[in-house]
Amino acid sequence: MRKEGVKEDNSSDGDGYMNEEELTGSDEDESEDDEDEDIATEGNNGKLAKKEKNAHSAPDAKTKRKRQDAMPQDGVYTAEVYKSNMFKLQLDELLEQVKPKYGKKEASAERAMRTLKTLIEQIPSRGPLSIPEAEKLFKSSKIAIPFPKPLPPKDAKYKLQFERPASVNATGSYPLKISTRTNEELVIDMVVTMPGSIFQEKDYLNYRYFYKRAFYLACIVDGLMSSKDHKFKISYDCLNGNYLQPIIIVRPSGDGSADDFSSAKCRIQILLAAPDKTFPDNKLRPNSNCVRPKVSEEESTKEKVSPTPFYNATVQSDSSVTAYLKLLHSSSSNCDSYKDACILGRVWLRQRGFSSRLRKGGFGNFEWAAMIALLLQSNHGAGPSPLSPGYSSYQLFKATLQFLANKDLLKTPYLFQASDVQAPKHDSAPFFFDGPRNLNILYKMTPWSYARLRHEAKLTVQMLGETGFDQFEPTFILKVDSPVLRYEAVVEIPVASLGFNPTSDEYDQSLIQTARKMYTTLARALTDRVTSISINLPAEKNWSVMSTRPQENGGNIVVSIACDPANANRAVDHGPAAENKKEAAAYRQFWGEKAELRRFKDGSILESVVWSAKDTKSPILEQIVSFILRRHFGSQVGDQMRVSGDSFAHMISSGRIAGQSGVVPFVPLMNAFAALEKDIRNLEGLPLQIRHFFAADPQLRYTSVNLPTSTVQSLMHTPASIVIQFEGSGRWPDDLSAIQRTKIAFLLKIGELLSTYRSTYTTRIGLENQSQPSQNQAYLEIILPSGPSFRLRIHHDREAALLERQLKDKSLDGISRESAALALAAYKRNYLRVPSHTQTVQTLCTRFPALSPSIRVTKKWFSSHLLSPHFAPEFIELLVIRTFLQPHPWPVPACATTGFLRTLAWISRWDWRHVPLIVDLGSSGPEGADSKANAMKSEEINKIRTRFEAWRKIDPALNRVVLFAATNNDVEGTTWTDGAKPEKVVAARMTALARASMNVLKQEEDRLASLLEGGAEGEKKQPAFVPDSLFISNLQDYDFLLHVSPDFARSNKRLPKSKFKNLEIQQSIQANNDVQSVAYDPVETYATELRAVYGDSILWFWDSESLDVIAGLWNPTMTGQRAWKIKAGWNSLPLVSSKNKKNRNEEEKAEIKLNKEATLNEIARLGSGLLERIEMK
Amino acid sequence: MASSKSKTPQSISGFTVLPLTLPTLKSLPTSTPTTHYLYIRPHAPTHPTPTTDRSLFIANVPIDATESSIRTLFADQLGGSRVQTVEFDSSVPATPVVKRWKSETAPEKAKEVEENRGKKRKRESDEDVVAEGVLEDEKSMLPRTWDRELRRSGGTAVVVFVDQASCKGAMKEVEKKVKKGAEVRWVAEEGLGVQRYQTHQTLLFPALSLLHSSINAYLSSFNRTELARNRLRAKQRSVPDEDGFVTVVRGGRAGPARLEEAEMKKVELEERQKKKGAKEDFYRFQVREKRKEREGELRRQFEEDRRRVEEMRGRRGRLVPQS
Repeated sequence: MRKEGVKEDNSSDGDGYMNEEELTGSDEDESEDDEDEDIATEGNNGKLAKKEKNAHSAPDAKTKRKRQDAMPQDGVYTAEVYKSNMFKLQLDELLEQVKPKYGKKEASAERAMRTLKTLIEQIPSRGPLSIPEAEKLFKSSKIAIPFPKPLPPKDAKYKLQFERPASVNATGSYPLKISTRTNEELVIDMVVTMPGSIFQEKDYLNYRYFYKRAFYLACIVDGLMSSKDHKFKISYDCLNGNYLQPIIIVRPSGDGSADDFSSAKCRIQILLAAPDKTFPDNKLRPNSNCVRPKVSEEESTKEKVSPTPFYNATVQSDSSVTAYLKLLHSSSSNCDSYKDACILGRVWLRQRGFSSRLRKGGFGNFEWAAMIALLLQSNHGAGPSPLSPGYSSYQLFKATLQFLANKDLLKTPYLFQASDVQAPKHDSAPFFFDGPRNLNILYKMTPWSYARLRHEAKLTVQMLGETGFDQFEPTFILKVDSPVLRYEAVVEIPVASLGFNPTSDEYDQSLIQTARKMYTTLARALTDRVTSISINLPAEKNWSVMSTRPQENGGNIVVSIACDPANANRAVDHGPAAENKKEAAAYRQFWGEKAELRRFKDGSILESVVWSAKDTKSPILEQIVSFILRRHFGSQVGDQMRVSGDSFAHMISSGRIAGQSGVVPFVPLMNAFAALEKDIRNLEGLPLQIRHFFAADPQLRYTSVNLPTSTVQSLMHTPASIVIQFEGSGRWPDDLSAIQRTKIAFLLKIGELLSTYRSTYTTRIGLENQSQPSQNQAYLEIILPSGPSFRLRIHHDREAALLERQLKDKSLDGISRESAALALAAYKRNYLRVPSHTQTVQTLCTRFPALSPSIRVTKKWFSSHLLSPHFAPEFIELLVIRTFLQPHPWPVPACATTGFLRTLAWISRWDWRHVPLIVDLGSSGPEGADSKANAMKSEEINKIRTRFEAWRKIDPALNRVVLFAATNNDVEGTTWTDGAKPEKVVAARMTALARASMNVLKQEEDRLASLLEGGAEGEKKQPAFVPDSLFISNLQDYDFLLHVSPDFARSNKRLPKSKFKNLEIQQSIQANNDVQSVAYDPVETYATELRAVYGDSILWFWDSESLDVIAGLWNPTMTGQRAWKIKAGWNSLPLVSSKNKKNRNEEEKAEIKLNKEATLNEIARLGSGLLERIEMK
Repeated sequence: MASSKSKTPQSISGFTVLPLTLPTLKSLPTSTPTTHYLYIRPHAPTHPTPTTDRSLFIANVPIDATESSIRTLFADQLGGSRVQTVEFDSSVPATPVVKRWKSETAPEKAKEVEENRGKKRKRESDEDVVAEGVLEDEKSMLPRTWDRELRRSGGTAVVVFVDQASCKGAMKEVEKKVKKGAEVRWVAEEGLGVQRYQTHQTLLFPALSLLHSSINAYLSSFNRTELARNRLRAKQRSVPDEDGFVTVVRGGRAGPARLEEAEMKKVELEERQKKKGAKEDFYRFQVREKRKEREGELRRQFEEDRRRVEEMRGRRGRLVPQS
């Protein structure tokens, strides 16, 4: 302990970062490795524990597991500053998980660093040498000097030189203890500070600094390579992908020697730094120019040279490495929660695909940490600091995101203690200038990465602002940057098609410039149709120290586009008015022949661009992208690029959103519904007035897989349900069965009046629920001549009271009360929940254009996998609605594909045994923050959870309620899933299928990732993924299959095969115009009957959309041999087992098993004529 | 199937096992004919009825068995005994549930009710026992939507013969066939499959006139029953039981209480209670207690949350960001 104390003192009163001491100091202990390690860890623990003491008053600083035993007070009183208890607890766990342990594994890396340090310090001085001499120097060792392009002139007057470094330190996140341990390698930075003596005053000009730096680096490589005793794998890379800053990557040799640090799973990066203030600050300000053009001196002074902010910042960043280490270290000692906030930021950035690398956005861990550190300090003259050291880690995290989301640093730069600095005018990077260290810390960012960062920050701030749910998972756990889930469209452009010369000096710049141009072009063309455009450039690789930086070959630029659902499918774009000559000309120049002058309804004459909404093959967005890229980047790009978007929409008819909303295909039916309501309300002679007229059908809430009405005039196959309610009256009988008969009398009356009122309507009365006289007995079917058909039922609210009375009536026998319970559930579902659900979904579908197609695709997925008989349609709808109302961490889906895939992703993650589905219908989605009033309160959610947990306690085996889905309208949560609908096995199958689908998507993501890498030409191109593959069900898993005869399968009926379209139409008209065919579904009736006959001995699966196969699974508890029982409840086969014979007690031990053959024979007899063949496994 | 046939026992727990050869079907080609097994024995229920001694009990009835198909089976292949009726234990769709009072309410009829559940109903005997609606006759019943019913898989049936002799004869014949291993075929009745579903579709939508008359008949019969039921209730109201208590039953007041009135009263009551008594944060101890309570609630909530997180960790393991 004493030793530890000493150590700590050292580090705190020294200049702040103990690395030097630790590295050198512990050299003495090298013989006693274990002890050394203990000290290191103890030291860490001690530090943490000290902090812990302040924060949590943990009793024993020595306890290694600190977190678990946090006192309850901790949570009770910190709930406020950490959003909620749940959030805080999960946060603690996350932090504990991602922090490296600084234990045995890491110790090996630390040892390797000490070795490296010693090696570097022993390298002899070299030079000064001229450039040709320098190149000659490494001829023998074949080491390449990583000069940045343009290569230095051979006749340069300056000399390159190596001298013992001023210092060798660990730097970056590792020693600051803000690094994170994930599946990837840990990166440990080591900085070698070059001595100031090798630089001249003017070295910041014309790459001179970088040439010297490259030579210095090559000398280090030479020194490391020439060491006989120590073996490392060494390669070059560029720091953050910045071609000016080559660095050395050290990887373990993997040979198990003393220097092998494979166990640490990390790589060591050796960076070079210049000493502080090597070059004058004002020369490296963003507005100055440091790369003089290669023209004669006189001209250059006359002409105004444009500033080189990126170059300047790169030089400056090299000479402020130590300054930043100091800054971060002082922040972490001034502010207790600084480190944790940094770690949270790292996790957040990583899940969103941000990194410090130039081509990955240029905003990574360092930028995050530096930003918080600067925001913690007050800016002179600008009031108090934006962040306070007293904040909790969560508050720091959230406030930083808020800063990012709310400040537009492109328009209004943030100047930290640097009032005199101006942002360069034409620079497209956001401006966050750190005066004391003279650096714009965001200099690596691009316009699109900055836009994306702000967008993500905004989404997260919104998400954290929600009170009901804790949102921990979407904030930190989910991988947000998945291209298939995050974006609506992806454009792949081979770099080769852009026609650059990969050997030219300007390759890097031209790639960036093209990307910039692409971004501005696309942004201008797509306007408010899109919310974010992300351009992913091919990733660079590190390269051998034996060669110069290799040329990038090929690879692809991948542009991902996220749409705004409200505008994405607009057909007409308005440009400037014709009188405005200058702008109109620019507009024409931009759009070329696409631009046309149009006169609009309001009388204005505008330049405009019109897209065809009818072209169903490619949505408008794709049309625009293809057109504009071809126009501005040449036909080669146009030919070779690949645009994909909304790839699942074709699974359903009219799946693409046409115009402003996704509900257009349902309009004819909705109109017919409105007309019918009017007709029925107008009927004269009804004994009671109609009070309510409710739609209660998927087709009337835009969610049926197939469109109810088609262009070919034919009758709707499945009538849409309607519920009407009469005004109250005391003359109804006070008896359930009699009420049902009275309802029939009403239906007869309505039918009679309606057919006289509108003679074209066909009406008939159908019967139902014959086994349950107290449930609804009949419905009125109304078939309109134009095609739509409806099924009308009467709701009488007295039924509920009567049923509840029966439930409580102890004088009734058990069967009667059970039947009353069933009837009550059916009553609530059919008359209360379905109509209200229909109304809700109707409004939601008009509000979210992509909701209707998303639900339809998702339903299609369920039925393609033969799951439709097991899931209530309302339940599937709720699953999709959750994706729209609680879309976090993504924005609201803008097309069927993202809506569907995100739902699938959620299903694959859903642990339904332990987690209820809670849909907050009151939340208005992320946009309407103003109407929070209706959103669920956390008390409501807790109530639902309690109810859910109660169900799990009552029914732990999940025999009755498997899935639990509650909304604010239906807190009971079992309306759609009670009675084992679906059963446990089926729910498990749903999860398994969703996971399998996600795996297929993962492959697609890998393919996109490999596109970026480009790789060798020989590599086989992975085939692009086929959306249909997610909808093909594997029939191998079932015990037997009933193949429905093609005459009866619906898939065939829907698409009659005919050579001539006109004949086809005629046929279908004939076939479908028979009123008798409405609602005639022999196969479906057969399947439901099978379910009733075989109870739980067989589990049935079918696709109610196509109805071409019915699959069955034997209940495994019945297929085995079991003791004889008279009422087994399934078709049995008597057996005499050999055991019984021995006992001579045959009678008693007789056994039976399922008689499969006879059962199948029964099934075939029942379905004679319907079935083509039965396949048995 | 041939190999398993040798292993098949001829009797099991007192039941004679009668193999039935099933028809071969186009959609299900098999090399050997498929066999269904019936378990038959003389009927012996715990509460014998007058018909018991001339009945046989059959278990594992085929799902497409009907009264006439069983009758034909005995008449044509099992010695020609004449069957009077067949009572199945189940049917698909199920027979309508008629709500009744528990047997204690009308003990003298309990046994009969139990016996009759699920069977053909006898209108005369227990009209006033039904708790809801009326016992329907052919007239007041809604038109049927299926021309024939199915049985649940593995169901049972009681076959009642015209007399004791034919019952015994039938049983003997069964045993003889089993011993000899003679083939008995199951002849399914015509009219399953597509045809049945087509008929169902037309039956689903009965003629309006039929519905009219059925409803008229039902409602008038309902009025009669309701009168009878009211009489029964009135009797229950006035007659104390052996402990001297009078059962409280429906119908005591003029009409059912209106829900709105009841709710209004409730609101009134709450209003009155609110006005009464001291304010809740009048005394210091009240404030203190309230605060304590709130703190306790917070603590409880925290414990709850901690338990949840603990559970979550137990389920999904460590909390690691997705990659």
